[in-house]
Amino acid sequence: MALNRRQFTGLMAAGLAAPASIIRPAYAQPKPGDELVVGIWGGAQEKIVKKHIEPKLVEKYGCKVSYVLGGTGERRARAYAERGRPSFDVLYLNIYESRQAVADGVTQPASPAVPNYEYLYPLARKGGYGVAFNPCTIVYDKTAASAPITSWKDMWNPEWKGRIAWPNGLGAEGISALMMTAKAWGYSIEEFDKVVEKVKELKPFAGIQGSQAQLFDMLDQNVADLSVEFASFTRMYAESRNPNCAIATPVEGQAVTMNVACITEGTRNQKLAEEWVNLHLSPETMLAYANEIYYSPTVNNVEIPPELEGKVITAGNVDSLVDFDWDYINAHRAEWQAKYDREIAG
Amino acid sequence: MKRWIGPVLSFPVTAWLLLAFAAPMGVVVLLSLHEYPSPFGPVIQSPSLVQFVKILTDPFYLSVIAETVLLGLAVTAISALLGYPLAYWLARMPSKWRALSFAVILIPLLTNVVVRSLGIMLLLSPQGLINTFTGWFGIPPIETMLFNHGAVTVALAQVFMPFMVLALYDNLQNTSPRIHEAAESLGASPGMRFLTVDFPMSLPGLRSGVIVVFLMATTSYVSATLLGGGKVWTMGMLVLNEAISNLNATMASALSLVMTTVGLGFIALATLWLNRFMRWRQGVPSSPWTIPAWVAVLVDRVGPPLRYLLLFCAIGLLILPLVLVMIQSFNDVPLATAAGFKGFTLEWYRRVLIEGDYTRNFLVSVKLALVAVSIAVLLAMPAAFALARYPFRMRPLLLTFWMLPLSLPGVAIAVGMLKLLQVYLIIPPFAGLVSIHVVVILPFIITLLTTSAMTLDRSLEEAAASLGANKIRCFLLITLPGMAPGIFAAALVGFLMSFGEVTVTSFLTTARLTTLPVRIYSEATFALEPTAHAISALLIVVTTVALALLGKFVRLDRLYSR
Repeated sequence: MALNRRQFTGLMAAGLAAPASIIRPAYAQPKPGDELVVGIWGGAQEKIVKKHIEPKLVEKYGCKVSYVLGGTGERRARAYAERGRPSFDVLYLNIYESRQAVADGVTQPASPAVPNYEYLYPLARKGGYGVAFNPCTIVYDKTAASAPITSWKDMWNPEWKGRIAWPNGLGAEGISALMMTAKAWGYSIEEFDKVVEKVKELKPFAGIQGSQAQLFDMLDQNVADLSVEFASFTRMYAESRNPNCAIATPVEGQAVTMNVACITEGTRNQKLAEEWVNLHLSPETMLAYANEIYYSPTVNNVEIPPELEGKVITAGNVDSLVDFDWDYINAHRAEWQAKYDREIAG
Repeated sequence: MKRWIGPVLSFPVTAWLLLAFAAPMGVVVLLSLHEYPSPFGPVIQSPSLVQFVKILTDPFYLSVIAETVLLGLAVTAISALLGYPLAYWLARMPSKWRALSFAVILIPLLTNVVVRSLGIMLLLSPQGLINTFTGWFGIPPIETMLFNHGAVTVALAQVFMPFMVLALYDNLQNTSPRIHEAAESLGASPGMRFLTVDFPMSLPGLRSGVIVVFLMATTSYVSATLLGGGKVWTMGMLVLNEAISNLNATMASALSLVMTTVGLGFIALATLWLNRFMRWRQGVPSSPWTIPAWVAVLVDRVGPPLRYLLLFCAIGLLILPLVLVMIQSFNDVPLATAAGFKGFTLEWYRRVLIEGDYTRNFLVSVKLALVAVSIAVLLAMPAAFALARYPFRMRPLLLTFWMLPLSLPGVAIAVGMLKLLQVYLIIPPFAGLVSIHVVVILPFIITLLTTSAMTLDRSLEEAAASLGANKIRCFLLITLPGMAPGIFAAALVGFLMSFGEVTVTSFLTTARLTTLPVRIYSEATFALEPTAHAISALLIVVTTVALALLGKFVRLDRLYSR
């Protein structure tokens, strides 16, 4: 029997995970009145999980769900401070933070103890349970472009000089912009200095955008014409506020970024946490995310309705997303941040 | 005078700060002496100065320090320039209107800093209010007002000017009408009177205001992040970056301590410099300022129009962004930052009032602020009298310690608290939050109450004593009512600061204790809906009504002006 790559990876993962499930300690069954503490972003994500996950969990176990809302940074800082005796049970992190958190023993790696694990794309099994693909790409004002952008190299077209809002620091957008620069111009990840030199050719920047909200203001106010941002939010922005805003599909690919649900090491509500994550990975929640904020499913058992085709990542194009060596990036983060501050932003 | 009174009065506040502030501060000092950052390493390691050497030899850090200091100075200067006429206007306001007119400075304080920054954005943007207004006169729009140092300076001045006004107000209001009459009867013109009487007598307030505004402006980061467009760097941003993005608590701590040192240096310089003009306060004989005749003439001519122009600018800066916030709260747009009015909607109010989106967070914030401010005022009252009336040897040292929470960026206190979290978890979360909020607001309450205690007319107390009042009666009937405006101002500022605190709180918040600002801030990092504007608008209306009622029932002016 011939195995395709996905089946092979699945078998390998199942094989590796099998011993883990044998030696898994017995966790207490959830009982009514138990409280699950979830750390998540406020706003739309909070609303979606409250609507699609919480009621089912509460109905099944009679438990209570409480939320700690905030940015990823504060949440992660707190989880690190509480390693081993966490106040969170489930923690939502970005792709690079989640992998680091597993390596640092703050959160658990993904495991088949969550039934929907088997449907996760391999990419979404790293650093916890990927719950949404949210690729980063070039977004721009098409009225300012002489031709549609088809490559990351197009940013170096002189028509964008002084009109680029480069993303701040080494967050998801910042790393995507830097790493896609490396890929487009043929630099290896070890050649960060060359990447910085290449990006410096784009200066002066119209600004450094610190968040999507700030970028959208910059585009609205005609302060900048081009940046690197999450495709999902930008699509919502383009549809609701700015029809001139275009989202590029460069030949080199879009950079993968992902929201990850992480179960903390040492949680006292292991079963509830697993059930929560399982509900998040259910087709219904995945579709709610896709419909409401154009987040792409990370599981392969979701039927994407035709009206969302081309707006979210579907099974056929998951492989086109460009992933990076996050271990290498995380190991060099401080050094890169210092260079970024001085050479690019400074 | 009994020598023990000063130290005894200073004890409560010192004890509180030792318990709730010295511990995280100590952790910050220890962390700053680590050679390498290690998120899970022990706090106590063999000390190394390598982080400080790095900061002081790196042109990047040095340039950010310089940029932060210059920004702080600019904000302080603008706040003083615009704050003076405003404080003067408030102090001369008939007492029945005074509480209501305080709305001008209190409402901005009550509005979340994120929302206020968005208001400034709506003011300065290419399609914003200023450009629309100038457009009516055929002036082409200026598209470069946003995302630069100017925008950040304006935003910070809007955020911190109220503190300057509050510091000046008590002094200006306290100048007895008898002194004005004396000046006039000696032939001083209004301009001359301002230069030789009002201005010198308001210098203690100016000193407090300058210190507070400078320290707050140099440790802030929210407005600089939102309005700087990445072109403006402050030390607060660097500390946050190191602590949060890089998990480098070591560098974050070292940077905070450098910032604290800069802040303390500024306090020392400002105090020394301004004290030179206040020799009379130390009982040293000093002659009145000599004002050249032409200056007096110039001030008489230019003074009144300039005063009204500055007053107009000050009120405009404080209120206009909030008017825009109120308009935005009815705007039918998906995100709070969306420019342009797209259509009228009550949806955001429905979310707040009917669905109760923010009710729980609002109640947590109010409860926290009320408890924190009550404790802080009780602690700071004796301390203020110790500073104002009972000098003792350790006083300057203690004062420096009391002011430290102000000069240490909030995020640094948070870093220290995070390290202590394993211990902190034993304390109930609410008590923990109260204790840290008291720490954050104490420097303001002490400063404002001290200024107030210093300017009390002691002859009134002597008169009461000579008429047979004992110390307690004298305190309750003379001193306390005399302090009322000061206590009112201090309690309000404390309440509003605690109500708006987000930096430290967002690290210590738990599932059941999420305050309103933390909630708004958490949504701003993702996608802020105009619901935040709706709740701000509601708070603005409620505050204005409350102040109008307060003015009817409570007398907040000095005894002798009644």
